Amino acid sequence: MQELHGQQEHSFEFSGKGWEYFKIWIVNLVLTILTLGIYSAWAKVRRLQYFYRNTRLAGASFDYHGQPKAILKGRVIAFGLFLLYNVTLKLNPILGLAVGLVLVVVMPWLLMRSLRFKLYNSSYRGLRFGFVGKAGGAYGAFLGYPVLAVLTFYLLAPLAHQRIKRYQLDNSRFGNTAFKFNGSVKGFYLIYLSALVAMIGTVLLVVTLAMMSATGAGKEAMAAAFAAVGPVVLLIMVAAILVISSLFIAYMQNLVWGNTEVGAHRIFSHVSARRLLWIRVSNFIGIVLTLGLFTPFATIRMLRLQLESMGVAVSGDLSDFVAGQQQQASATGEETAEMFDVDISF
Amino acid sequence: MSTSPSSASPQVNAAYYDGQTAASRAVVLSVDGSDLVLRGASFELRWPLHEVQVSERLGSTPRLLAHAVDGHCEVSDQAGLEKLLAQTGKSLDWLERMQHSLPWALAAVVLLVVSFAAAYRYLLPWGAEVLALRMPDAVLQKMGSSTLEALDKFALKPSKLDAARQQELADEFERLQALPDTRFKYRIIFRSAPEMGANAFALPDGTIVMLDELVALTPDDNEIIAVLEHERGHVERRHAMRMVLQSSAVGLVMTWYLGDVSSLLAAAPAIIAQAKYSRDMEREADEYAERALQLNALSPCLLATILDKLEAAHLAAMKTENQPPVAGPEKHTATMDYLSSHPATQERIGLLCPAR
Repeated sequence: MQELHGQQEHSFEFSGKGWEYFKIWIVNLVLTILTLGIYSAWAKVRRLQYFYRNTRLAGASFDYHGQPKAILKGRVIAFGLFLLYNVTLKLNPILGLAVGLVLVVVMPWLLMRSLRFKLYNSSYRGLRFGFVGKAGGAYGAFLGYPVLAVLTFYLLAPLAHQRIKRYQLDNSRFGNTAFKFNGSVKGFYLIYLSALVAMIGTVLLVVTLAMMSATGAGKEAMAAAFAAVGPVVLLIMVAAILVISSLFIAYMQNLVWGNTEVGAHRIFSHVSARRLLWIRVSNFIGIVLTLGLFTPFATIRMLRLQLESMGVAVSGDLSDFVAGQQQQASATGEETAEMFDVDISF
Repeated sequence: MSTSPSSASPQVNAAYYDGQTAASRAVVLSVDGSDLVLRGASFELRWPLHEVQVSERLGSTPRLLAHAVDGHCEVSDQAGLEKLLAQTGKSLDWLERMQHSLPWALAAVVLLVVSFAAAYRYLLPWGAEVLALRMPDAVLQKMGSSTLEALDKFALKPSKLDAARQQELADEFERLQALPDTRFKYRIIFRSAPEMGANAFALPDGTIVMLDELVALTPDDNEIIAVLEHERGHVERRHAMRMVLQSSAVGLVMTWYLGDVSSLLAAAPAIIAQAKYSRDMEREADEYAERALQLNALSPCLLATILDKLEAAHLAAMKTENQPPVAGPEKHTATMDYLSSHPATQERIGLLCPAR
C-alpha cells in the first residue's frame, strides 16, 4: 500500500525495454513517412505514453493525455513558420531576417503555451500537473535574460540559465501543490566556470604537448610539430569535450532537480557523469553503425539512467495531494486546450 | 444491496484513483452484465462499460481504465485484463497488434528503407518540379532580382566588355529559334569576376549572367551560345526553385531522423544528397542545350568543346595559385562523382559529343 508516513526516499523506476520500444518506434516511423508526417502527432502521443507509463514512483505510474490533433496543429504551425522563414530568407534576405525577428519575438509566448500543454497533459495518480507561468515571465526568461547574456559576452549566461529554470519550475504545479526551485545563481556559475576552466586546461595541455615535441625553435619547426601531433591533438580534444560535456550535463541535472521541491516533498537527483559518458559514447557508436536503427535502444538507455538516478524524498503522505483548479475547470479547460494550446518542441 | 458479480467473470487486481486526490485504493475488477464493477475494501463502484475508456496496449506498461467523471483504474496484470476485456468483446486493433509484433517491425524496417530511397529518388524531385512549375512569376522575379542584387554587392564587378560586343552576343542569342516549350523572356547581362574564373549562371527569372572571363575563353561565338542554351535549360526547368525546395526537404527529413543524435550527423547526408540533385540538374540542362542547338542546326559538340576549355581554365587557375589540383580530368572516379556537384566533365562531353 502507498500509505507512507515520515521521511521516505522513493526512486523513479523505469521499466521501458529496448526491443519493446523498437517495435513501437519503427511502426511510428513508417506510418509517419507513409502519411507524409501527419501521423507524427499520434506517434508522439504513443511514444510519450510508453515513456510515462513505464515510469513509476512509489508504485504508481505517470500518464500522458496529449491530444494528437492539438499536437498536429502545433506541428503544422511550426512547419509553416520554418518554411516561411527559409523561403523568405532565400527569396529576400532582408525580409527573411524580419521574419526571423518576428519568430524570436513570438517564441517565448509559444514556449509558455507548450509548457502549459505538456504539464497539463501529464498526470500521476490521477492528478494532473499544471503550469501557471504568465507571458511577462516568459519574455523575461526566454528573451530578456538570453539577450542580456549575449550583450555581456556570455558573462551572464549562467544567470540566464538559472532564470529560465526558475521560471519553468516555480510555475509548475502538481494538482494544486506548487513546485519550488531553490537552485542558487552561484551553483550555476560554479558549473559553468568549472567547464570553462577544464576546457582552457585542455587547450593548454595540447599546446604544451605540441611544443614539447617540436625539435627546434622557429615558426617552421613549430608548424611541423603541430602537424605531426595533429591526430593525437584531435583525439584529446574530442575526448575532453565528451568528458566535460557529460560532467556538465550530469551536474546540471543534479543541481536543477536536487534543488526542487513539490510541496513538502524534496526531489533528489544523483546522475553519475561517468555512466552518462559511457551511455552517450556507446549510443553514438550504436546509432552510427546501425544507420539510426539503434536510436530507440539509445533513448531507452538514456531515459533509464536519467530517471533511475532521480527520486522524491517524501515527507508525510503522497496521498495528501489534491486536484488543482485546473482540474475542476477541466470542462472549459479542455476546450481552451483545443482552441489555443499548441505543442511545439524546438 | 449490491448484487455480486457472476462467478464466471475473471477478477483482476487494480489501483483506483478518484481524480480528486492522489490517494491510491486497491480494488478488484470484474464484469457484471454490462457494468464494470470495482470492489474496494469499503466501497463498490459500477461503471457502465460504454462509459469506460480502455487505454491501448503499449508494450508491458500498465493499462488504464478511465471513467469520464469517476477517476481511473491502473492495471498491471496484462494477461488478466485481456481475459476480462475478452468478455466484453473488446480486442486489440490492428495498430496495437503491429506495435507488438516482430515480423511487423522487420517489415517496417524494410518499408522504411524503401520509402526513404523512393522519396529521395523519385518523389522529392517530382514534387519539387510540380511545385516549382506552379510558382507564380512574381516569386521568380523577386528571387532573381534579389539574388542579382546580392551578387552585385559581394561577388561581381562591372563588365569590361564594350557595349557593342555585349549587344552583339545578346542579339545572336535573341535570333536563335527557341524550343517550343520556352516560357521565359531572357535578358543577358555581362559582369566580371576574376576570383570566380570563367563561368556563367542563370537566375530564376530568366536573367543570364555571363562573365567576361568566359567570353575571353573562346573566339567562337557559337560556343558561348551553347553555354547560354545550357543556362536557358536551368531557367526553363526551374532548377533554382527546385533546388531550394529539394534541399529544404532533405534538410528537414534528416534533422527529424537524426537531429536528436547530432546535427552534424544530420548535415553530412543532406549535403551528399543535394550534390546528387545538383548533378542531375546539370545533366538535364545539358540535354536541353543539346536539343536547342540541334534545332538551330548547331552541333552539341560546341558545348562539349567549351566545357573542356572551362575545365582546363579552372585547373590552370588552381595550379597558378600553387594548389595541387583536386583531380585531373581523367582521375574522376565513381566516388568522386557521388560527392561532387557537377558530373565529371569527361562524362558530360561523352554524352554531348560521342564522336570526340
